Amino acid sequence: MKTLVVGLGNPILTDDGVGVKVAYEVEQAVLATSRDDIDVIEASAGGLRLMEMMIGYDRLVLIDAFSSSNGHQPGRIHQLTFDDLREISPTQHSTCAHDTSFVTAIEMGRTIGLKLPTMISIYGIEVENLYEFGDEPTPAVAAAIPEAVAAVLSELHLN
Amino acid sequence: MERITIDPITRLEGHGKIEIFLDEQGNVSNAYLQIPELRGFEQFCVGRPAEEMPRITNRICGVCPEAHHMASTKALDALFNVEPSSAVKKIRELFYEAFYCTDHTVHFYALGGPDFVLGPDSPPGERNILGVIHKVGVDVGKQVIACRRRNHHVIKMLGGRGIHPVAGLPGGWSKAISEEERMEIEGIARENVDFALFSLQVFADIVLANQAYVDLIVSDAFTHETYYMGTVDENNHVNFYDGKIRVVDPNGKEYVKYDAKDYAQHIAERVEPWTYLKFPYLKNVGWNGFVDGIDSGVYCATPLSRLNAADGMATPKAQEHYEQMYETLGSKKINGNYTPVHHRLATHWARLIELLYAAERMLELSKDPEINDPNVRVTVTNTPTEGIGSVEAPRGTLTHHYKTDENGILTKVNLIVGTTNNYAPIAMSVKKAAQSLITKGTPITEGLLNTVEMAFRNYDPCMSCATHSLPGQMPLEITIRDHNGDVVEKQSQYIE
Repeated sequence: MKTLVVGLGNPILTDDGVGVKVAYEVEQAVLATSRDDIDVIEASAGGLRLMEMMIGYDRLVLIDAFSSSNGHQPGRIHQLTFDDLREISPTQHSTCAHDTSFVTAIEMGRTIGLKLPTMISIYGIEVENLYEFGDEPTPAVAAAIPEAVAAVLSELHLN
Repeated sequence: MERITIDPITRLEGHGKIEIFLDEQGNVSNAYLQIPELRGFEQFCVGRPAEEMPRITNRICGVCPEAHHMASTKALDALFNVEPSSAVKKIRELFYEAFYCTDHTVHFYALGGPDFVLGPDSPPGERNILGVIHKVGVDVGKQVIACRRRNHHVIKMLGGRGIHPVAGLPGGWSKAISEEERMEIEGIARENVDFALFSLQVFADIVLANQAYVDLIVSDAFTHETYYMGTVDENNHVNFYDGKIRVVDPNGKEYVKYDAKDYAQHIAERVEPWTYLKFPYLKNVGWNGFVDGIDSGVYCATPLSRLNAADGMATPKAQEHYEQMYETLGSKKINGNYTPVHHRLATHWARLIELLYAAERMLELSKDPEINDPNVRVTVTNTPTEGIGSVEAPRGTLTHHYKTDENGILTKVNLIVGTTNNYAPIAMSVKKAAQSLITKGTPITEGLLNTVEMAFRNYDPCMSCATHSLPGQMPLEITIRDHNGDVVEKQSQYIE
């Protein structure tokens, strides 16, 4: 079974790149093992561009910034399924201003017969600052990174 | 006064939205497009070595990292005062054409096209690329994905990475092209030419063959007479990678042609109290408000603008389609050149002509004897001071401007991104479409609002590098308020 781990976001836009930062750490953990069934990448936009990266994989683990409209709690980690995404507000980058939504892109890929992951797991980390450039996430979001990394590694049976 | 809010950008408060104000009779009195600006980009860059900029700026935007990478690399050429070799320029241009092939494809099939293929009144849940596939056939979807995949492969091969390219160096490019790679790219370019021709045929069959759509395109609601900007080569033909920036007036007469480094002599920025983003305009014409005409400094920089600002296309098939577009849309030929087409919805057609040009140019470059030149790096020796670089991003002329100290450490950074050029024209288009379509007694339907939104969508606006943040979802929200500001009606949809 081939797994793709994607960190989605902009790593120089304060909290926006939290998914990418989690993915960097997951990648280090994967490289420290002999596992060759897991690829870790970063991505900056959802939609077709993201869907195309997933072709040929059985499982997708997606980590993204998440703006919650209620119960705002920076650093809180939400775990979602693809069906959840279909039902509720998507994560910060799963829709792109210049592309289709992630859900539409996946459905399109399946319609035209592409081999796409059947298992999709999404980690959304609630964020605070998406409006200023900076390398470092805000403290509450930074503090959530180890927990998110642990959750992903646990799902990959790597810890 | 009643108030309608269209929020096509995001559900998040404070992001871009369209607000339409009605007068007491129920007609549109005004409309605003508001886009917030993100903070701190210059501050983030100042103090860093300039040569990092192609790898920093390509992260500004998730949509067109290739355009920022290229504008930044060209700014470094100027900053270090080093002229790239002819081979390096061709490799960069080849890379850039592959990017255009992916970008223009996604706009037509996923964003602009569904309005025509499915119809502006079709339910928003169907008005997307999946709907296009259901209507036109699975093969279209396969072709779109195949086009994007093969060109992303070229971008990765030449740019060093799949998403955020790293190959741009001052005066050079980090990687030469092997003969094996060249042959593969040539094959891909041939497929791109076929795909572009196929796409133009789809446009002819679905849009041009439908009189209602042709009427919509040429209708006054979607027409503005402004100045047009685009980069041209020495023959005044469209070029995406390099050349001079040419501006023509609303009659098609050349107003000015300048080097990118002189942009500040020609472009100024207008600040309005109701939005954070500035409105670039032609400094020497002057700002006279959001109005059409030769006395208004408003200019437009889109695929249609590039065609209007040029005398033609540099490749044969694209030139044929260029002529067909101008003939079909009632342009006059004066002294061998077509007068501008002012119908904004024709931008979709122009975008496909540019797709064909990108594919043809990619094929030419892939067969160029110089493209295999292994000497792609140079040693930079000049002391850096200031550099300006520009390219045509798919969404408009993109300019990067850097100043450094004598060690090459950045002291000042200014960017004018593609969409920003078009901020005033987009605002004008939204207002005019709203005024034409929303009148006293007209029921405000979802289809009607979508038609207003088509005025905005044809510009292919990408707020992600104007605002640097992508939305979670894109609802179209309309709120109608009575005189007291209370909501009397609310509708929303999701657009893609």
